[in-house]
Amino acid sequence: MADPANSPLGRMLLDEITPVVMVIRTDLVEEACQKNNLSLIEMLKPFCAFNNIDVPVRTASDQPYRIQKFKLRLFYASEIRQPNIEVAKERLKQVITNAGEKGISDLCTEPPRIETVLTTTQSELLPSWFPFFNKELVHTVSFSDHEAFDHPVACLLVVSSKDEEPINKFVDLFNTDQLPSLLNDGTMDPKIMKYYLLLHDNQDGMSEKATKILSHMRNTFGSNDCGLMCINSSQDGLVEHQENPWTLDKTESSPGQHLGCFLNDDDMDELKIAMQDLSSKHIIPHMEQKIRFLNQQVSVTRRGFRNQIKNLWWRKGKEDTPDNPNGPMYTFSSIESQIRVLGDYAFMLRDYELALSNYRLLSTDYKLDKSWNRYAGVQEMMGLTYFLLDQSRKDAEYCMENAFNTYLKIGLSGQRNATRCGLWWVEMLKARDQFKEAAAVYLRISGEEPLHSAVMLEQASYCYLFAKPPMLRKYGFHLVLSGDLYKKCDQMKHAIRTYRGALTVFKGTKWSHIRDHVHFHIGKWYAFLGMSDVAVKHIMEVLACGHQSKATQELFLRDFFEIVQKTGKTFEVLKLQLPVIDMPSLKVVFEDHRTYASSEAVSVKESLWRSLEEEMVPSLSAIRSNWLESQPKLALKKYKESNVCVAGEAIKVEIGFKNPLQIPISVASVSLICEHSLRSDETEADANSLTTENQNDDRFRNLDSSGWCSHDNCRECSSEKSSFTVSEVDISLGGGQTLLAQLTVTPQLEGALKIVGVRWKLSGSVAGFCTFATEMVKKKVQKKRGKTKRQMVDNLEFIVIKALPKLEGFIRHMPSAVYEGDLRRLDLVLKNPSEISVKNMKMKISHPRFLIIGNREVMDIEFPACLERKTKSAWSDAHANDTHDDRVFIFPEDALVYGETPFIWPLWLRAATHGNISLYLTLYYEMGDASTVMKYRLLRMHYNLEVLPSLDVSFLLRPSPLQLHEFLLQMDVINRTSSKTFQIQQLSSFGNNWEISLLQPLDAIFPSELLLAGQALSCFFKLKNARKSAITEVEDSVVGPSEGSDVSLRRGCNEPLFDIYRPPLVGFHHYERMDQGTSNQENPNTVDLILISLQSRSEGNPEQRDSPNFFSHHSCHCRQDSFFTFTFASTSPIWWLVEGPRTIQHNFSTSFCEIKLKMTIHNSSNEVSSIRIDTSDSTSSSNATTSVPSGNEEGWHDLSVLNDVKATSVVKSASQECISPFIWSGASSTQIKLEPTSTTEIPLQICVFSPGTYDLSNYVLHWTLLPSDDQGAGTRQSSGTCQGHPYYLTVLQSS
Amino acid sequence: MASTACFMIVSRNDIPIYEAEVGAAVKKEDAAQQHQFILHAALDIVQDLAWTTSAMFLKAIDRFNDLVVSVYVTAVIHTRLMLLHDSRNDDGIKSFFQEVHELYIKILLNPLYLPGSRITSSHFDTKVRALARKYL
Repeated sequence: MADPANSPLGRMLLDEITPVVMVIRTDLVEEACQKNNLSLIEMLKPFCAFNNIDVPVRTASDQPYRIQKFKLRLFYASEIRQPNIEVAKERLKQVITNAGEKGISDLCTEPPRIETVLTTTQSELLPSWFPFFNKELVHTVSFSDHEAFDHPVACLLVVSSKDEEPINKFVDLFNTDQLPSLLNDGTMDPKIMKYYLLLHDNQDGMSEKATKILSHMRNTFGSNDCGLMCINSSQDGLVEHQENPWTLDKTESSPGQHLGCFLNDDDMDELKIAMQDLSSKHIIPHMEQKIRFLNQQVSVTRRGFRNQIKNLWWRKGKEDTPDNPNGPMYTFSSIESQIRVLGDYAFMLRDYELALSNYRLLSTDYKLDKSWNRYAGVQEMMGLTYFLLDQSRKDAEYCMENAFNTYLKIGLSGQRNATRCGLWWVEMLKARDQFKEAAAVYLRISGEEPLHSAVMLEQASYCYLFAKPPMLRKYGFHLVLSGDLYKKCDQMKHAIRTYRGALTVFKGTKWSHIRDHVHFHIGKWYAFLGMSDVAVKHIMEVLACGHQSKATQELFLRDFFEIVQKTGKTFEVLKLQLPVIDMPSLKVVFEDHRTYASSEAVSVKESLWRSLEEEMVPSLSAIRSNWLESQPKLALKKYKESNVCVAGEAIKVEIGFKNPLQIPISVASVSLICEHSLRSDETEADANSLTTENQNDDRFRNLDSSGWCSHDNCRECSSEKSSFTVSEVDISLGGGQTLLAQLTVTPQLEGALKIVGVRWKLSGSVAGFCTFATEMVKKKVQKKRGKTKRQMVDNLEFIVIKALPKLEGFIRHMPSAVYEGDLRRLDLVLKNPSEISVKNMKMKISHPRFLIIGNREVMDIEFPACLERKTKSAWSDAHANDTHDDRVFIFPEDALVYGETPFIWPLWLRAATHGNISLYLTLYYEMGDASTVMKYRLLRMHYNLEVLPSLDVSFLLRPSPLQLHEFLLQMDVINRTSSKTFQIQQLSSFGNNWEISLLQPLDAIFPSELLLAGQALSCFFKLKNARKSAITEVEDSVVGPSEGSDVSLRRGCNEPLFDIYRPPLVGFHHYERMDQGTSNQENPNTVDLILISLQSRSEGNPEQRDSPNFFSHHSCHCRQDSFFTFTFASTSPIWWLVEGPRTIQHNFSTSFCEIKLKMTIHNSSNEVSSIRIDTSDSTSSSNATTSVPSGNEEGWHDLSVLNDVKATSVVKSASQECISPFIWSGASSTQIKLEPTSTTEIPLQICVFSPGTYDLSNYVLHWTLLPSDDQGAGTRQSSGTCQGHPYYLTVLQSS
Repeated sequence: MASTACFMIVSRNDIPIYEAEVGAAVKKEDAAQQHQFILHAALDIVQDLAWTTSAMFLKAIDRFNDLVVSVYVTAVIHTRLMLLHDSRNDDGIKSFFQEVHELYIKILLNPLYLPGSRITSSHFDTKVRALARKYL
């Protein structure tokens, strides 16, 4: 560290602890001085500080040294007393208030960034009034009775030359009555050095009279102690001082006053010389002399071993005295006071060693005397002396702390002394760069007085800032604390200033409560000062305070609106946080060539539509060539890159508004901000768009910088209203609610449209707006990492093209939920509001299994009556194919849609399976007018359908044991609904191959006709293969379904059957077959069964009563039918039947029984097949001939013969029950070859040895198809093994 | 149980990721922000102190009036568990910190938790409060 005397504390001490000169003057003296607008002391003050006085001094031990800097403090006699506390307080308050007024200009500016704060120097950052304030604070404890440096060293008696009898005046002035009480009551030594000064006003005439008086004075008071001073030499009072020495001290003077206007340079020189004389020739020698004298006295009484012992003993004796907080009273003549005076004089003359030794001596005395006040004072001085000696830092600090604590211990009276001590201590620490400790001391100084505490806290905060490394958070915290105290004392400007400082730290902090507190309070205070703009800006920061309690949120919001209302205007606020805009939810829906019938259709993935439309839409190159043809100049690229929308068609924007608060808020007039620029000519387009864009940018830069804009902005938009219209929405958000607002903008003219942002009005007073542009940039950055897929959608710039026809379409009576199997007719309604017609309409449906397109003829026919069989309609493959294979439906050429009349086309809906299904329809159409930019458009429709389960139908098919070409069909129907009743109508088999007939009469199995909810039904049918006859009698039988392919399940059989070969039934059946995966349609062994039922709805609409004469009592507009495509469990083409007797009587006593059986084998396939029959006996070991490869060997090795397990177990059990088994006689293995569709018979024979019942199923049929040359092996099964059918034979013993 | 206690977890970039008022005292409206201020300011001290010692538990590093700040600095990612309290139960506070540290590690082990993001687990919250009742 450099010279401690040059540190701020050193300078302060040299300023503060200097000899005091008591000034006593007559009224005329004051009068003369007041001509210059100065009092006597004010006039002399600038000349009392000497920077280079160069006076030789000797220490008490005769060591010579020179004093360079010196200062005198002048006080009027009346001022030499302890200052009034209340007055001092008021004065301090005034200082702070004044300082606050000065700083107001800064308050409006943005708080500096933290980086700049850190780099600025201390002197720039610290408010300049701090030192001043501290000085004033120190002065509040001047002239205390326990310290000696405020004791006047000399007395300056000033009498004017105009005074009558000046000599007497001099004597009168130093009258004990007028002396300060401190001198009279014995605290201070009244015998002080006197200096007599005669003041002469040159305006009053020549100085002869004055010199006469002076000589007279010299005679009376001694020649050395008298002086003459002439002032006011300038006559006109217009002296302008280059560097006015008085302005520094007299700050409160009004600018009109000319300080020292009558004092010319001679006067000033004279003043200077007089004061220099006084200090160098009188005061310093006097002090020096006194030091010597006192030192000698102290040495005699106190120094030396003997004196110390004596002193100690003497003080011990005084221990019994009552404990007085101030200790015993010491008069100036007591030895303790003398030592103190000696120490202070030595201190003032910079003889710090001497001062220190005396202070040390004194401190022990005072401590023993328990005179804490004085003890603390001495400790304080010791600390300062240590500091100035720059010896022991620890000692210095220890002394200061000791003093500080001792002062505080005394109580209230020591408080202010403690403050002073603390301030010096702080300065000491600061001088040594111990800012952290300094801050701690500041905090300790801040006592009861809130205003002082505020200043101290603020100073402490700066200490934290200057600490190395800077402790910014502490800085911020203490600024906030200080601000709160300022606020408490109504020092609003200071409060704002401190909070502004804190903002630099807390800006953008994630500590939510801190941020809210700072912004809210500073905002409120700004509002208090009437600076609403800044106030609103700050309070806005805290609006989205979801984490706060409800009461706090209400408070914030209420204050915010109050402030806004006070301003009386509508604010436009960029980035208003209430409500929060959910940017990711931003969705732009616009229609170029793709148009949507409903909002659900929009949300469907683009790829799904693309795949659906693939076949309909002309390929890209084709479009391009078309465009080039029609408008060769067109910048294709532009259209490709930016979004295209059509004039007059709305662009929908969906954006989420979120209320972060718990209290409801109302948001009104939500609308989009858009910009439209006209493009009359394509060639100019580039330039045009460029300029408009630039303008936009400028405008936004303005907004960004100011954050505000007046209401004019709205006007701008409304003036543009001709080119587009925007919708306005009012929403009210409950606490924590998020709403999706749907906004639209409809361009009216061609050109370019840009959606800039969204605007809204909060509670009718604050308009917020938010631009999308900045958000988009962010999004794009994100996108770059991922896929750039949806960028097209997110782009908010559009090219508006001329109005085009746009079809609107919907499906009339589209149900939201139907029962499974429901077949109904729906109407597709298309409208074209524009006058331009459209052509080449095509349509495609995603799920033809559910929805197919009907014929126009169906329109007029009543359903379901149209399905009734009137004539025998033919079924042919061609019939099915031509309507259904082509999945793109092309409307007939004459289907033109225009004008108001809706165009209606029938659709058939059939709920194929239960569950939720999404149906997509897309309609392609071309413009009737070829000159448009857009060649074609697409209308996309989307419907969700819920299909409920209704009838659960299952079929079980078994070969009939009696007939080769017959099967038993078991149909199980369960009504799965909870309340619906179904009427089973008919069962039909699809195709010509099969004939169905009921096995039992209908009454027996199905008496009620109706299938109630939850009811199950089982029915048996006989299924006969009609193909054989169809093939053999191909000539004469007319191709058509034989009568037997349908069976009616109604009792009153007068009703006509339904024709399953009519559309839409046949169409749906086609898709159903495709869906159920029976691709091999030609397989003749499969049967497709269709169950048709009606659902009776008695509670139906009355209007349906008069509908078809179908059911007179019920209106059956609703038809229910179920399809079931059945395939045999085994796909074997080989059918066989074992024929023979079932019961035989035989006398086993004579011989065993031989039974002949006949097996009829039919090859139903179109190929030659080779068939081998392996018989196996139940008791394997007995018959060696049955060497079946896959037979049951010991019945144990089941692993290898999995397919036989069941059979063998049956056989085994049978063999165990029947004691005497049977054996297959004859060939154990027979191999035959069978031509296609031919039948052969093989004889079989068994031998039975005892009566019983036998299951003759233990044989295996191996078949292999021998592929013909023209047909590849294909997917058909070419070989297989069949287990024998069960055949039970009972043999009885005949008598 | 301490009458005032504010527990907070501060991530390495000085963002609070968890906060809980665990004191038994009746909640005052402005207490929350005062506690935040004190803890926030105490970070300055932690910053200095954390590198001078190998101990994780730094007891009573800062004070404001009668409120004391104790801090537990985790080793790896320099997360600070801070407790503002008015009781002098050092052992209890230390145990509290250690147990919460364990809980915090469990949170970190969650693959869906991004270190440095806010802890929203309600389970964590209930556990911390239970620990506060037990130790403070």
